[in-house]
Amino acid sequence: MAEDLNWAVGGEAGDGIDSTGKIFAQALARAGRHVFTSKDFASRIRGGYTAYKIRTSVEEVQSVVDRLDILVALTQRTIDENLDELHDGSAIIYDGERSWEAEIPDEMTAVDVPLKSLAEDAGGAIMRNIVALGAACEITGFDVEYLDEALEKRFGGKGSQIVENNKEAARLGQEYVAENYDLEHLGYSVETTDNDYVLLNGNEAIGMGAIAAGCRFYAGYPITPATSIMEYLTGRIEDYGGHVVQAEDELSAINMALGGARAGARAMTATSGAGIDLMTETFGLVATSETPLVIADVQRSGPSTGMPTKQEQGDLNMALYGGHGEVPRFVITPTSITECFWKTVEAFNLAEKYQTPVFLVSDLAMSVTEQTFPPEAFDMDDVEIDRGKLVDDDEVDEWLDAQGHFRAHAVTDDGVSPRAIPGTVDGAHMSTGLEHDELGRRTEDQDERVRQVDKRYRKVETAQEEEDWDYREFGDEDADNLIISWGSNEGALVEALDYLEEDGIDVRVISVPYIFPRPDLSEEIEAADDVIVVECNATGQFADLIEHDVLTRVKRINKYTGVRFKADELAEQITEQLSAEVPA
Amino acid sequence: MSSDVRFTDFKSDKQPTWCPGCGDFGTMNGMMKALAETGNDPDNTFVVAGIGCSGKIGTYMHSYALHGVHGRALPVGTGVKMARPDIEVMVAGGDGDGYSIGAGHFVHAVRRNVDMSYVVMDNRIYGLTKGQASPTSRSDFETSTTPEGPKQPPVNPLALALASGASFIAQSFASDALRHQEIVQKAIEHDGFGFVNVFSPCVTFNDVDTYDYFRDNLVDLQDEGHDPNDYEAAKEVILDSDKEYQGVMYQDENSVPYHEKHGVTEDMSDIPDGAPEDAMDLVREFY
Repeated sequence: MAEDLNWAVGGEAGDGIDSTGKIFAQALARAGRHVFTSKDFASRIRGGYTAYKIRTSVEEVQSVVDRLDILVALTQRTIDENLDELHDGSAIIYDGERSWEAEIPDEMTAVDVPLKSLAEDAGGAIMRNIVALGAACEITGFDVEYLDEALEKRFGGKGSQIVENNKEAARLGQEYVAENYDLEHLGYSVETTDNDYVLLNGNEAIGMGAIAAGCRFYAGYPITPATSIMEYLTGRIEDYGGHVVQAEDELSAINMALGGARAGARAMTATSGAGIDLMTETFGLVATSETPLVIADVQRSGPSTGMPTKQEQGDLNMALYGGHGEVPRFVITPTSITECFWKTVEAFNLAEKYQTPVFLVSDLAMSVTEQTFPPEAFDMDDVEIDRGKLVDDDEVDEWLDAQGHFRAHAVTDDGVSPRAIPGTVDGAHMSTGLEHDELGRRTEDQDERVRQVDKRYRKVETAQEEEDWDYREFGDEDADNLIISWGSNEGALVEALDYLEEDGIDVRVISVPYIFPRPDLSEEIEAADDVIVVECNATGQFADLIEHDVLTRVKRINKYTGVRFKADELAEQITEQLSAEVPA
Repeated sequence: MSSDVRFTDFKSDKQPTWCPGCGDFGTMNGMMKALAETGNDPDNTFVVAGIGCSGKIGTYMHSYALHGVHGRALPVGTGVKMARPDIEVMVAGGDGDGYSIGAGHFVHAVRRNVDMSYVVMDNRIYGLTKGQASPTSRSDFETSTTPEGPKQPPVNPLALALASGASFIAQSFASDALRHQEIVQKAIEHDGFGFVNVFSPCVTFNDVDTYDYFRDNLVDLQDEGHDPNDYEAAKEVILDSDKEYQGVMYQDENSVPYHEKHGVTEDMSDIPDGAPEDAMDLVREFY
């Protein structure tokens, strides 16, 4: 198991918790350590409890665990909220000079540092969090030089004075602890390596994947937790000749993206639950007009406004079945932050190859979690772009009818028609959400209707045959216990394997990045004694699909508290489920 | 494409299913003529329409076109223009489509000042659903859903556009073919969002706002010596509910369209075969 250190900073929203945590995470990444971060935050701008947690190790870390070693607490609530995770060896850094009197359990080590006054000595009270970071460095023996690098990256744009002041603040914090405390008995040390790692979250990976895949037009409406995709693209996509429009609502956003796609651009929109509901109106039009479009849904707790800043995987049924009538679509569910990148690239290729909407379904846990990777995990040389049957001026002729009309919805063996974008000579045509003939013109002819419906579904059949609807696998391939998961649960499951192994339990884990089409798991399920489906929702939407596919009952682990799975917690629940009866 | 484009090139061979005598025939003819007259051809033109009688226009015209969902034609047009500043974009709508379900989009398309023309066939009734009140119906207009009239003032689309910061506001009458074509042409030529509200009578369900009514009551702003660059004069005409006007009410000569203001100039359909050459920079940013 990874020899890891768990660190957190917490206070009120508006206290700069997020940037403090990010700076420390970047410092650790620069020191060649792996980092996995998580956030506790509420749906408010200022006030209330918020925390940024970092788990770090020299080995890869992919999950949060129930343990906190170092806690920077700016409020009592930060201590209270995390009591379960604190242990006898935990050190709590706080500012005893401030108006609150910290209540810290006796067995823990209280490290009282005058954060505010030391920050003022360095040039401003605003840097008190940085003083705390310096103090944390001293406790763990982490070289403050790495922190300096992270401070340069963070504040470099604001001038050298600001950078110097921050470095000074960190040093004052470090020195204060060195002079006033002897904490060697806690036994913390932070090993560094020469590895270069990048640190990013799932939404950044989606945005990066979109640009790499040639997405040039993005329209969206701000909604937690999808907004950071738009924020990432804004300011970067322009460098590649693209543009982001902040639409007036989600209805507009998806229609703008649709317009961009019909004009020939690789286009995308992203939203979360409630926004998907609004977009659903246009969803059928995207499918019926055979427009390539990527629609990302970064799930959060629903229904209705639910818990906007909390985790859930509750939109699966919506992605599969949303919209009136029957509509062919692809549903892809990245299972890790690197997969957020690669599946976004794949989503654009699938959308254009098959001229269909592609749902890219991610979730809050992945969107706010930052994780370290070797940069090669995002090797741009491996990005392939397939624009499908896009025809140019010379190829149009093959697809004209006797009257010279372009057959934009031509019925073909593979279900995919030629695609002409504006400007293509003789390619002019209309497309519509009405049932239509090969030219895109409205029809209610019974035979034509059947031909077009079949044609659109034939695309899915073709894709099922031609593409790899694979899964990722971990653990012991021959184990009798099979765990199936989708989306962001993968990391916690992989780490849960270590805990289970300690207890002598062998498990095979299958992590599925495709919901529709999806891999056929019947052989794997038949070979297993116990099958458990893990997901962050109450009803087991993916478990339902699996049961439907293989006509057998499976066990389920469902979590819908609004918090993602933790590795140790999962291991415990898996053990429990293995000895339980299969539900009737 | 060749420079000798005729307006009939914009015509499809599909026979319109509009009622005989519908104002939409004249409205569409003027649109096609205006497109040809301004040097466009079907291969570089994109026409977007929503739902309703007006929405059928994409079928009867020949160009790149999308027949969208109810009220959402303007966002589609915006997307097309963003991706392809080189393409002429025309959006067609109706009064229900544009001022009821699509009212929110109208306000925002206007204030974005996207370089496209928006032609609304305003017949002051819901035609395709067989005669219910529309947002521009008179407050005492009796329909199947408003037996005593809507009892609320009609939307003034021109005022809505003005309040939203429009750079081009015009109104025309489907039956005054030459003037209608000329006004739509000006909307196309305008650098920015060219909005034209067209009186397009519904001969089946509206017996109040008829051809005769408009013929008798229409005041042509050209005859009045109206200066469209004069904002105050435009305001007066637009807020005058006693008369029906045709002509260009307002045009901002300094209008800068959205794509120019935002530096959107590239053809976004043209992308490399793989990731962009310097794409690893995107990764390095996360060091």
